[in-house]
Amino acid sequence: MAYRLIVRRIWNAPVKDIRCPRLCASSASLFSRAPSPPVSVTSRRNVSFSVQDQEDFTERVINSNLPVLVDFHAHWCGPCKILGPRLEKAVAKQQGRVAMAKVDIDEHTDLAIEYGVSAVPTVIAMRGGDVIDQFVGIKDEEQLDSFVGKLIEQ
Amino acid sequence: MPPTGCNSGRDQIKSRIQELIDSSEVLVFSKSSCPYCVKVKDLFRELNVKYKVVELDLMDDGSGYQDMLLEMTGQKTVPNVFINKTHVGGCDKTMQAHQDGLLQQLLGGGEAYDYDLIVIGGGSGGLACSKEASLLGKKVMVLDYVVPTPKGTTWGLGGTCVNVGCIPKKLMHQTALLGTALQDARSFGWEFDENVKHNWETMKTAVNNYIGSLNWGYRVQLREKSVNYVNSFAEFVEPHKIKATNKRGKETFHTAAKFVLATGERPRYLGIPGDRELCITSDDLFSLPYCPGKTLVIGASYVALECAGFLAGLGLDVTVMVRSILLRGFDQDMANRAGEHMEAHGVTFVRKFVPTSVEELEKGTPGRLKVTAKSTESDEVFEGEYNTVLIAVGRDACTGTIGLDKVGVEVNKKNGKIPVNDEEQTNVPHIYAIGDILQGKWELTPVAIQAGKLLARRLFGGATLKCDYVNVPTTVFTPLEYGCCGLSEEKALEMYGQDNIEVYHSLFWPLEFTVPGRDNNRCYAKIICNKLDSDRVVGFHYLGPNAGEVTQGYGAAMKCGMTKEQLSGTIGIHPTCAEIYTTMEVTKSSGGDITQAGC
Ligand SMILES: Cc1cc2nc3c(=O)[nH]c(=O)nc-3n(C[C@H](O)[C@H](O)[C@H](O)COP(=O)(O)OP(=O)(O)OC[C@H]3O[C@@H](n4cnc5c(N)ncnc54)[C@H](O)[C@@H]3O)c2cc1C
Repeated sequence: MAYRLIVRRIWNAPVKDIRCPRLCASSASLFSRAPSPPVSVTSRRNVSFSVQDQEDFTERVINSNLPVLVDFHAHWCGPCKILGPRLEKAVAKQQGRVAMAKVDIDEHTDLAIEYGVSAVPTVIAMRGGDVIDQFVGIKDEEQLDSFVGKLIEQ
Repeated sequence: MPPTGCNSGRDQIKSRIQELIDSSEVLVFSKSSCPYCVKVKDLFRELNVKYKVVELDLMDDGSGYQDMLLEMTGQKTVPNVFINKTHVGGCDKTMQAHQDGLLQQLLGGGEAYDYDLIVIGGGSGGLACSKEASLLGKKVMVLDYVVPTPKGTTWGLGGTCVNVGCIPKKLMHQTALLGTALQDARSFGWEFDENVKHNWETMKTAVNNYIGSLNWGYRVQLREKSVNYVNSFAEFVEPHKIKATNKRGKETFHTAAKFVLATGERPRYLGIPGDRELCITSDDLFSLPYCPGKTLVIGASYVALECAGFLAGLGLDVTVMVRSILLRGFDQDMANRAGEHMEAHGVTFVRKFVPTSVEELEKGTPGRLKVTAKSTESDEVFEGEYNTVLIAVGRDACTGTIGLDKVGVEVNKKNGKIPVNDEEQTNVPHIYAIGDILQGKWELTPVAIQAGKLLARRLFGGATLKCDYVNVPTTVFTPLEYGCCGLSEEKALEMYGQDNIEVYHSLFWPLEFTVPGRDNNRCYAKIICNKLDSDRVVGFHYLGPNAGEVTQGYGAAMKCGMTKEQLSGTIGIHPTCAEIYTTMEVTKSSGGDITQAGC
């Protein structure tokens, strides 16, 4: 019960902000299932990528030389669709000093369960395979910048 | 403190007992005259197990043995049973262990099962049961697997209610109610464009997004409660062993001391040409990617009427084809009133017809289908063209392909339902069943949840409380909702006889309907009282808005044994619909006027 309340609070309140259906539609495509794993050349250049499986997660997140933001999201979650693009923007501003991994919790349930995701969006910051920071719910651009900034300073 | 002084004798007895325990596979301390001891010995004889008996009444220091057994096991009485060095207990404990399969486990050299409990089916009942068992410290696995519909529809964790039942149904019903509210709104002074449209896809996406969050919520709860969830189809291969097959066809095997079957039901098809290929069921409707358009609903189950009701409420052209009566099993007076209201609001009823074939005239989303039906009374043939045909003629228990024949669980051959005793136990003692698959029980989510929870507490928490299947309140979400609790008028007549029941009834006009001036004298309230038992209310019936909210409270009152006098002594809340029950004076037998006017 308590859990449900949390979920509601997190993703019901901001859902009200989505007045314009186009916003959902366009951002939704960001999360559409990637047809095949990107080849490694592009993956190195791309700071933002969708996690394909556990192995991919190990390789590109846990073993990453860069700090990585992991965005646990779901296609049914309205706020995720708002947060996703904001996160990408905040990460892009760091010009390659931080990477971003997107994990669809329904496709990669084991990963989400392993990292204790009970509500979405959940964002965790990882460095050297360790979780060093995290938040649940939505944040504005400024808050995201400082979250990402902190990650790099550390 | 036990008396000292004869320690050496005590020590001797103790080591003699220990020796016996260590050296016998099955050891029974007994008294030759004790009937319980005979029972236990008979059991082992039946099981063809070699056992050693120590008859305490036939030996010199029997009472010394008995005292020492008390010290060693906390049990003074006989029989006192040990199997492979494990203390089992007395007669009851031994019998219980036999039922549970523990005995066999101990006899088999103590080979342990993987789980204390495996629950097959992660719907309303299965999830409730597995979570509760886990809370009580047991090792639990729950398996849930959705076999796709012939159209390929599938869904997530949580069973029928969440994915293709209560939840999407009520949300779509709400969608339709909002449409009615929009119409009413003009009478209350709201002004907006004439052109009001409904967008199916927006509704479908919103509803399914909510369901997605619920699926995830269940997943998280199972993790938090340490229930091992497996997304695989389960079937018995041995009495204590199941085979689990996942989406990719990978098989795993799991054993448990006890099992709970909670596999629920799936919509029944008609068995006519075109039904599986061309028609949909409620399993497909709630996630249909396109608006169904002109729809034929086949059947008059509550699922049929609810779906027909909300589809019509969205402005679609809806026809319901009925073989015989509406809402079988419900009060027929109420059922017909609910149907009449639908008819008055544009739903077409084709009565006493059964479909014989469905053909595709044109592919599309939706396409065009031709339905042929024949009369149940004459040679008359019916033909109609629809975009969508929804079959809702009942549901079949998912008990046919889960290996019940292999383990000897009795199944009603006619309908696949499972008979259980009042503790939800099947004829195979270590296998239990809950929810929709039970024979002669309610098919409702809260009932499945309650049964599952209480079963877990009885199995693992030492509780004794059983699920009460009497006076269960429920609501059919037809456009004008129908709530009820207790007996239908037909059933009450049959049980008590015409002379011994009194029916109070009344039409009423919800205040909210007066300004828009709609549906006067359609809402209806009825209670059935048992004259032989202080006019106790044995049947409660309500046709009107917010039926679920109204019926829930009266359901609680009926559980407390509410009488007509108490009801009349209750002060109503004005202005509401529910208050009508506090002022019901007209009996049906009097034939008095029940139309309502004003406050
Ligand atoms: C359209 C519709 C509307 C409804 N509306 C209401 C309502 O308003 N209020 C209400 O109280 N009830 C309502 N119900 C009834 C309610 O949904 C059921 O009573 C309830 O879901 C029963 O719970 P259950 O645990 O018995 O089975 P279910 O919830 O059906 O769960 C059974 C689960 O077991 C899975 N399963 C089956 N076989 C296997 C197997 N071999 N291995 C693994 N998994 C398996 C199934 O896929 C399913 O997920 C409605 C039903 C329908 C169809």
